Amino acid sequence: MNGEIIDARGKRCPLPIIDLAKALTMIEIDDSLTLLSDDPATSADLTAWARMTKNLVEPQGVNEYLVTRKN
Amino acid sequence: MVPVTASFQAESALHPAARELLLEVFDQGWADPRKLHLESRRAAILLQEAKESIANDLGLSPTEIYFLGEISLGFHLGVVGLAHSEGRLIHSSIDRQEVLALVDQFPNALQVAVNGSGEVCLPELASSDVLLWQSINAETGLLRPVPPELFDFSGTVFVDHTAYPTPATQGPSWTTALWDASSWSGPHGLSIFGLKSGTQRWRNPFPQLQQTVVPSGFSLPLAMASAVALSHWKADEIAAASTLSEMAQRIREYVAHEIPHTDFLPADLPAMPSILSLSFLYIDAERLQADLSAEGFTVDSGSACISANLEASHVLKGMGLLSQGNIRLRLHHGITVHEIEAFLPVLKRLVEKQRD
Repeated sequence: MNGEIIDARGKRCPLPIIDLAKALTMIEIDDSLTLLSDDPATSADLTAWARMTKNLVEPQGVNEYLVTRKN
Repeated sequence: MVPVTASFQAESALHPAARELLLEVFDQGWADPRKLHLESRRAAILLQEAKESIANDLGLSPTEIYFLGEISLGFHLGVVGLAHSEGRLIHSSIDRQEVLALVDQFPNALQVAVNGSGEVCLPELASSDVLLWQSINAETGLLRPVPPELFDFSGTVFVDHTAYPTPATQGPSWTTALWDASSWSGPHGLSIFGLKSGTQRWRNPFPQLQQTVVPSGFSLPLAMASAVALSHWKADEIAAASTLSEMAQRIREYVAHEIPHTDFLPADLPAMPSILSLSFLYIDAERLQADLSAEGFTVDSGSACISANLEASHVLKGMGLLSQGNIRLRLHHGITVHEIEAFLPVLKRLVEKQRD
């Protein structure tokens, strides 16, 4: 499952982060996946989500985020 | 079924003391207080009484008070009236949208960030700078203590007191200031503009024959009702202070222990207990708001799906707080412990239902 792409483009908050959280349970700790989301709330909310759930988010470009499971 | 009683939304009904007064003052205070007729003289006395009462409660001089009928006018007068300075127009990322919209037209505007402790990251200040300062943030309740570097600041300052009737003496040394009567259960459509006595650095930004004159279009009865509401509200606030703090503490502890993945202002930050913002991960705020309403609890929200422009709250984003699943609670003086205790398990059940 490592390297999977979650395409949540066109979905409004909170759906992109719900999709991400579901997909994250399917990968191993320290594995990563890519989230695609064009919802304007996603960028700031992903930062808060990473803080609250102790995972890692790295923006990769426009509407693209690399998410690494850390717990 | 929980009784339909608790309103946690920001706005509140007119204070009963102000409501009682209104009919009487509409009879007595209809005349233009600037004219010389008997009725006008009576109206002028009533206006002076209202100014003295509010001046006493807000910590400024009656001569520094100007009533306005529209709060946007107050922001314009307070901000743009100082913006003719050649210095920077310094404001924070969590200022009210009215302020952000106004500064957007000025090339010398400088937006500064707010750190995780709620402190504004101010640059080194010059005497030509104009500082826009918010005493309390309306969305999160965050109090804005005055940083030491502002003690000696010799530039001009606009202070936004519209979230809460903080006295003028509690902010930085001010030039212009603005209060909203609805923040103390006064009437809507009445704001109070403060202009520091003797200042030479404010200009009326509207086309006027005299640039130092503040526009005056307001309802005298509403101004009087605001003064009466403020006096009573302050007494109520003092009486309710410890109860409100206990309620806020109870809500924070409950959600921290009973509703995982909830984001709110850290407890160690200075904040008004009567203003609470809670954000629940994986929750659709619009649905939560509707579900709570169906159970008898009205709340506000800063989430994108609720806002008119479908943008998440710039305040929550600016402070790094979660914006999805957000609700705002305003603990008014009439809220009871019983209502809080009824609300909390309903909130938990509705959040859990959405997450299932």
